[in-house]
Amino acid sequence: MDGNTMLELIDLRAGYDTVRGFVRAVDGVNLRLKSGEFLGIAGESGCGKSTLAYAIMGLLRDQARVESGAILFKGRDLVRASAEEWKQLRWTGMAMVFQSAMNALNPVLSVGEQLVDAIHAHRKVSEAEARAMAVEMLALVDINGDRLKSYPHQLSGGMRQRVMIAMALILKPDLLVMDEPTTALDVVVQRSIIEKIAELREKLGFSVIFITHDLSLLVEISDTLAVMYAGKVCEYGPARGLFDGPLHPYSRGLMNSFPSLTGPITRMGGIEGRTPELLALPPGCRFAPRCPEAVERCREAEPALLPAGADRSCACWLHGETR
Amino acid sequence: MIKGFLRTLVSNGKSLVGLLILGAFILIALLAPIIAPYPPKADRVETVVALGPPATNEEQIKEETPSADLDILTYRSTTTKDYQKVIHYFPLRAKPSAAHILGTDQAGHDLFSQLVWGSRVSLFVGLSTGLFVTLVALALSLVSGYLGGIVDDVISFFTNVMLVIPGLPLMIVIAAYITMRGVAPIIIILCISEWPYPTRLLRSQVLTLKNRDFVRVSASLGERTSFIVFREILPNMISIAMAEFFAMSMLAMLGEATLEFIGLGNVAVVSWGTILFWAQTNGALLSGAWWWFLPPGLAIALVGTSFVLINFAIDEISNPRLRKR
Amino acid sequence: MKYFLRKLGMLLFTLFVALTINFFLPRLMPGDPAQALLGKMENIPPEQLDSLRAAFGLDSQEPLPLQYVHYLGNTLRGNFGVSFSRFPMPVAEVMRIAIPWTLALMGISTILSFIIGTGLGILAAWRRETRLASLTVGVFSFIRSFPYFWFGLVLIYFLAFKLRLFPIGGAYAVEATRGSAAWWLSVLDHGILPALTICISSIGAWLLTMRNNMINVLAEDYILVAMAKGLPLRRIRSLYAARNAILPSVTGFAMSLAFIVGGGLVTEMVFSYPGVGYMLYQAVNAKDYPLMQIIFLFIAASVLVANFIADIVVMFLDPRVRDGAK
Ligand SMILES: Nc1ncnc2c1ncn2[C@@H]1O[C@H](COP(=O)(O)OP(=O)(O)O)[C@@H](O)[C@H]1O
Ligand SMILES: [Mg+2]
Repeated sequence: MDGNTMLELIDLRAGYDTVRGFVRAVDGVNLRLKSGEFLGIAGESGCGKSTLAYAIMGLLRDQARVESGAILFKGRDLVRASAEEWKQLRWTGMAMVFQSAMNALNPVLSVGEQLVDAIHAHRKVSEAEARAMAVEMLALVDINGDRLKSYPHQLSGGMRQRVMIAMALILKPDLLVMDEPTTALDVVVQRSIIEKIAELREKLGFSVIFITHDLSLLVEISDTLAVMYAGKVCEYGPARGLFDGPLHPYSRGLMNSFPSLTGPITRMGGIEGRTPELLALPPGCRFAPRCPEAVERCREAEPALLPAGADRSCACWLHGETR
Repeated sequence: MIKGFLRTLVSNGKSLVGLLILGAFILIALLAPIIAPYPPKADRVETVVALGPPATNEEQIKEETPSADLDILTYRSTTTKDYQKVIHYFPLRAKPSAAHILGTDQAGHDLFSQLVWGSRVSLFVGLSTGLFVTLVALALSLVSGYLGGIVDDVISFFTNVMLVIPGLPLMIVIAAYITMRGVAPIIIILCISEWPYPTRLLRSQVLTLKNRDFVRVSASLGERTSFIVFREILPNMISIAMAEFFAMSMLAMLGEATLEFIGLGNVAVVSWGTILFWAQTNGALLSGAWWWFLPPGLAIALVGTSFVLINFAIDEISNPRLRKR
Repeated sequence: MKYFLRKLGMLLFTLFVALTINFFLPRLMPGDPAQALLGKMENIPPEQLDSLRAAFGLDSQEPLPLQYVHYLGNTLRGNFGVSFSRFPMPVAEVMRIAIPWTLALMGISTILSFIIGTGLGILAAWRRETRLASLTVGVFSFIRSFPYFWFGLVLIYFLAFKLRLFPIGGAYAVEATRGSAAWWLSVLDHGILPALTICISSIGAWLLTMRNNMINVLAEDYILVAMAKGLPLRRIRSLYAARNAILPSVTGFAMSLAFIVGGGLVTEMVFSYPGVGYMLYQAVNAKDYPLMQIIFLFIAASVLVANFIADIVVMFLDPRVRDGAK
């Protein structure tokens, strides 16, 4: 591993213990993120993106757990980290922004209190200094310092998400994990948030893992892209390359589909059918039952994620060097 | 839908214990004549000694009273031979013994038999009130939640008002005014004071369901309201309605016992509440007759616990957050 | 402010409904129980009889709406009639003696059970994998299905009758001079067992409500964020979890309170505690309808006012309610 690597996932498996068995929502994911890199992860809902994000943050709870594999953060394996080590590391080394800021902010505490308590948890500073830091951070996301006294419900959706971003960045972490940070927002606000993130990354130099089901959005803003399907990465490579020509039929479907603007009733424009039940996966390629190009072989054996041209890889029998 | 739900109930440890306890009590109630050694109101056992059955044209010719709890009556009959009837009176306020394992009350009734027979009234009042209240609440909430508008406003307003009027004092006052005593008035009174609780809960569930995608889609596709209400909303209300049924049954059982204990029931009916009423009226407590007042309360508590256990399980089934990690 | 006015309006309206129920109950019941009773009362002066007739709507000459107006007028003027069983004592006077006992007993035990039950509920959810937590929840669910009065009987039997730790009933030692130190001590002594009955029986309700709320809140994203931020657990438990979980508890206060007050009344009956509940018991047995009615009104009014106070407390605890956003 070169010194420039921020995060490396090695054959990571994670999922949920249920009465019907272990649901492996993340199934052998290998990814590498360089310092300052913007990695986008795309995939339909239910593909294991959130599970992956939570695993990276060490926030899997209740029935969820990492089954095997390694999460190397700056060379340190976090899978084996103690609760105390995680506590030290989170928010100072890596922070997370959730899909719904409304749910991620405590409704009965003011924005200021919630920003300041994060500072106090890790830094020995006075109340006044902490407040000054909070005001400064809010200014970075274009929110006036008076808003410290506001409660979450008094802010607009876009403002709440910006507060959430300020909160995540308040201790200057090296890695920012964002799980569908703009899905709940309307298109205009979505755009402004994304521009804000790009601007802040420029300024502060953190790496980003940006998760969304909207692939067309990701190709514009990411350096690198990973497309996930049913717990596995099916295509990985520079965003540019994926934009010019997606290799995996699933990526192509995602590129052509429009995320629903009217709410949770998503209709995938490009892909028929729905994601498979993780406890009853089809034999062969997991995408084969929905794939317009599937051939005999796709239904018999599962393709591995293998190099397919310059720094790209793809898990499909019809593409790359597996052909 | 219901079948799957029941299957899940049985597979959950808590609800299985609850269902077993409840089932045992229902069985006791149904088999009361077999399980109870005596009829509920019996204060004596009569045995006919000597040959021949008793007949109508008989004449009592002798009466002996060898002891306080024994009478021997001798009859002459024209059609059959003479015979003797031996009457064993049950002792009054007796301690537990082999003949009366929970002793007897002030009138000599066998308390164990009363406990067994009493389960009929207590379970009947509890379950039927629970059922009735739940059905009313279901109907009101479906109408209110689905039609919305002014109908909903009126129903939910009155639900909220009646919700805060304290139930037990209301029940006591109504019961005191009703001169008719018995099981039916108690059920009616319980229904009057209980209906707002499940109605409020079920109504909010209807509102939640109404905003779910699948209902919205059907509505936008122009499905008939009756289809949406009965085929899409109602099936999703089953678990919450079941939970309310058990909760209300438990409340009803406690309410019935309380009203009867105060003397507002029909004291001639044998139920767990009236056993406690008679125990209290006869100072069972201060004469140390624990066998008189402990068992009925424990029985109520056990049935109540079975309802609570079943509800724990229903909660866990319908709210994954409550499940064990 | 809008919230406050709405709640105030609701309070006034529910009070009005309680008054109305009180008015119609005796008039709707079949068999004219009051009429039958009046027939039996011979030594009542005629003018008293007239006012009783008026109170019970036995003056059929007067149309119902007019009776209703008179009833409302009388109630507002504090004219509740005279007691049948303690004739000619006005029922208001009977209440004046009974109310302090009930307020002290129920007030203290309700507040105690709320604090203890809610606290236990928080802990039971916070440490819910532990055996102790499941045991606590199990024990209190079991106790919750006891009839209050029966639990009172059991406590009397074991603690007062068998072990002689407490007096069997009543509220004070009759032999002590009222107001003396000995009298106050005896009041305490007599109050413990009934208070214990109400507390233990009602803790379960608060505990289970709070536990479920807590468990729901603990699954919220903001708890996860708080953990991710590395906040001290104590802060997460109190300011992030409990602070949010208690809101529905306070809102549901009315419902729980109605039950607890009901249970408290019966507890008084069992302990012959000379409060409102015991009065109600005596009134029921003596068919003292005016007394019953004022007791019902009093209980309803207290529960409604307590509920209103709870609504106001929510206003202070929840910024969303304060802004009228919820
Ligand atoms: N608590 C859970 N218990 C069991 N399975 C779960 C749970 N949460 C998520 N899953 C399963 O894990 C898979 C991935 O979920 P998630 O990571 O949330 O996907 P995404 O974020 O891509 O929408 C889904 O198929 C879902 O069914
Ligand atoms: Mg997700």
